[in-house]
Amino acid sequence: MIDFTLIFRILVFPGFTFILLLTLFCDWVERKIEARIQNRVGPLVAGPAGILQPLADLIKLLTKEDIEPRDAKKTVFKIAPILAFAFMVFALCFVPIDGASVLSTTGFNGDLIVILTFSTIASFLLFLSGWASCNPYGTISSARVLTQFLGYDIPLFLFALTPAFIAGTLSIFKIASIQTIPFIILAPWAFVLFIITMQAELEKDPFDVPDAESELVGGLETEFTGAKLAFLHLTRDVQIVFGSALVVELFLGGPYGPVFFGLPAFWYTLWFVLKLLAVVVLTEYITTLFARLRIDQVLSANWKIVLPASILSLMLTVALVTWVYPLVVL
Amino acid sequence: MSNSKIDIVSIVESKLKDKVQIQLGQLGNAAVNTSNGLHRDVVKVMLEADEKTAIVAITGLDLGANLGLLYHLRTSNAFITIRAEVPKDNPKIQTIVDLIPGAAFSELEVADLLGVVFEGNPSSGHFLLSEQWPEGIFPLRKDVKANEVKLNPPPPEGARTPEIGRQVKIIIGPQHPALLEPEKFAVTVDGEIVTKVEPRLGYVHRGIEKASESRTYLQDVYLVERICGICNACHAYGFVGTVEKILKTDVPPRAKYLRVVTLELNRLHSHLLTLGHAGLEIGYETLFQYFWRDREPIMDLIELTSGNRVYSSLMTVGGVRRDIRDTDIPRIKTTLEELRKKLPFYRQIYTNEASIKARMQNVGVLSRSDAIKLGMVGPVARASGYDIDVRKDEPYEAYGEIPFKEIVYTEGDTWARMNVRMDEVEESINIIDYALDHLPTGPFRIDAPRNVPIGEAVCRLEAPRGELFYYIKSNGTANPDRVKVRTPTFANLPSFLKTAIGESIADVPPNFVSLDPCFSCTDR
Repeated sequence: MIDFTLIFRILVFPGFTFILLLTLFCDWVERKIEARIQNRVGPLVAGPAGILQPLADLIKLLTKEDIEPRDAKKTVFKIAPILAFAFMVFALCFVPIDGASVLSTTGFNGDLIVILTFSTIASFLLFLSGWASCNPYGTISSARVLTQFLGYDIPLFLFALTPAFIAGTLSIFKIASIQTIPFIILAPWAFVLFIITMQAELEKDPFDVPDAESELVGGLETEFTGAKLAFLHLTRDVQIVFGSALVVELFLGGPYGPVFFGLPAFWYTLWFVLKLLAVVVLTEYITTLFARLRIDQVLSANWKIVLPASILSLMLTVALVTWVYPLVVL
Repeated sequence: MSNSKIDIVSIVESKLKDKVQIQLGQLGNAAVNTSNGLHRDVVKVMLEADEKTAIVAITGLDLGANLGLLYHLRTSNAFITIRAEVPKDNPKIQTIVDLIPGAAFSELEVADLLGVVFEGNPSSGHFLLSEQWPEGIFPLRKDVKANEVKLNPPPPEGARTPEIGRQVKIIIGPQHPALLEPEKFAVTVDGEIVTKVEPRLGYVHRGIEKASESRTYLQDVYLVERICGICNACHAYGFVGTVEKILKTDVPPRAKYLRVVTLELNRLHSHLLTLGHAGLEIGYETLFQYFWRDREPIMDLIELTSGNRVYSSLMTVGGVRRDIRDTDIPRIKTTLEELRKKLPFYRQIYTNEASIKARMQNVGVLSRSDAIKLGMVGPVARASGYDIDVRKDEPYEAYGEIPFKEIVYTEGDTWARMNVRMDEVEESINIIDYALDHLPTGPFRIDAPRNVPIGEAVCRLEAPRGELFYYIKSNGTANPDRVKVRTPTFANLPSFLKTAIGESIADVPPNFVSLDPCFSCTDR
């Protein structure tokens, strides 16, 4: 007996197709926000207000010639981009979007750790793709990706544990659904630091050192063309959606919100997308406000400020959960 | 600060009385004729007498049987030219690089274009010319006809071996997002630290110096204007100013003020361009977009005053080609006033914004003594506390009558260089305002004679990027005999080559852009 509902959930909604469209939509929102802050118009031609521009870019790249450099390590060069994309989409499948995660039966205690691991694997695959292209720009950029995500993964995990401690569970579904008061109110410091760490993890300004075009041309994408480049771009965009979704689930109460009439799934999806957009706008706002830091500044900020702060945050959370929150809220 | 009391000419005269011949008032304050390698002694005497002695340019001349060399030197209060000659069949002369390191590029250029051998200068190979240029042909010699030169076939492309290891060679250029113009810098990095920078210039060498020898003076004004799109008015003024010195014509007062307005509009849009471009180099796109948005009205003003948005084509021998309409003056002033209102915001970003300070402070620090030794000019020199500004030191046109501040910072880093420009934007607005308020009446042009008598002259002016130097030699015909241009970027490049070493590869773009590099200027 084939479960058509599950197939529909995986392939169409809230699975692959929905995630892809959401990614392209977020890309458009980002570009539009950035453009308006910078006094430009942004995408304008494809579709109403240029909303189809990310899709047009994707299709264009897919139709372009695919070139492989002679010196590249062919196998890794070929599969790393698509594998990275696959891991990011898979990680998103565990995130509750319409009230339940895509694979609604697979939510388990500890899936928070799993999806964070998936995103680390995807970052590692991005590093591999740049390294395999055997281009000096790609090599240096890859080395930067590696040093940066190794540094920022630890604090990201520790900040993600703050909501887990408050909720008393490692299941992302339970963390999201337990928030009658969003954790952004209970642990605002963790929210702020999580956003900053996320910014570094996603390699956005002021932490976008791996693709500093004035130093490294195209960064690790330098040798990529056609469909592979499309997947690299897509991976980056899905990473942004994933990061924002994580913020929504951990701090903003996930997809849950008031249901007025009809299907709860509709309202949950709506709340999810609205909260997601709010996070995307916030991160994009930060991106446009700063210049790019240098790699050594990024790293020393990590080891000297963010990592100690994450440990302090964890200790503070444990203390609050033990002595304060039981009296006040929970 | 001021040691303007040094009378360098009499010091040279007293120390080297019988050996050199001094012609007062020629090619600057004085021309010193030397022979038999005495040019080194003159340089030594000048260096001892005045610590601010720096090289401006070395002009090579084809004098028939001999090759002439003109060493143009700047001291704290004078401009001296040392003449030397070498026979064409054995063109050897001792280098002065060991005395003044900043002369290295100038010597290489003369060696490449005229075939003078500088004994003791370690560099070899082509400097501006293509690798395919045939041996033994030197384009600036009079017997070389440009259309008869046959290039060698391109060398076969060697198999590329991927360099992956501790030391990685990163090629910046000829095509690279950090460079707006083609030029190649091979940067060797150890991890993230730069250990070596090898420049290769000449990708946009168009031979304008040679080309101007086969055109009339009037045509040359438009030709030299095409050396650089951004500071085009400065190049045009450099040329007409030099020709006017040979002709000994004086332009009418109104023309002087109109020239100042044009030159300052040029500086204004050039500085806004760089300030924005620096933002792009450090990943601050918002800043870039804002600056370039506010630069646009200045371009409109250039169009309003000259009829052209980029190439103003306003300068001509004897004055300017167009007058400013009185009805346009209010519009110019309102536009500038709007820009002035925005300046505090930008100033605050450049001085206080944390990520800008993190990326620019203590990056590419050049000390004052190095700045003098390497012959820095313009904002780069002024950021290192080396106070040279031709507008103050040797006022040309109406600059002597207009009050303005000379901006000097002492930090010597990228941050200081950008802040010098930031402050100069405001000074430029003040200068234009003053010039428009005090615009003299009368003609804006006089009819200068078309025939330029035999003679030679030098002219210096403060272009947006620094001191621009022109030398023209006339032989009495319709075409000039020799036109020499020393552009500010050419003088400033050694700063980058020196300060980039030992810093992170990430510091290369901001350090580089703080010179406001212009390669079409550098290569000519």
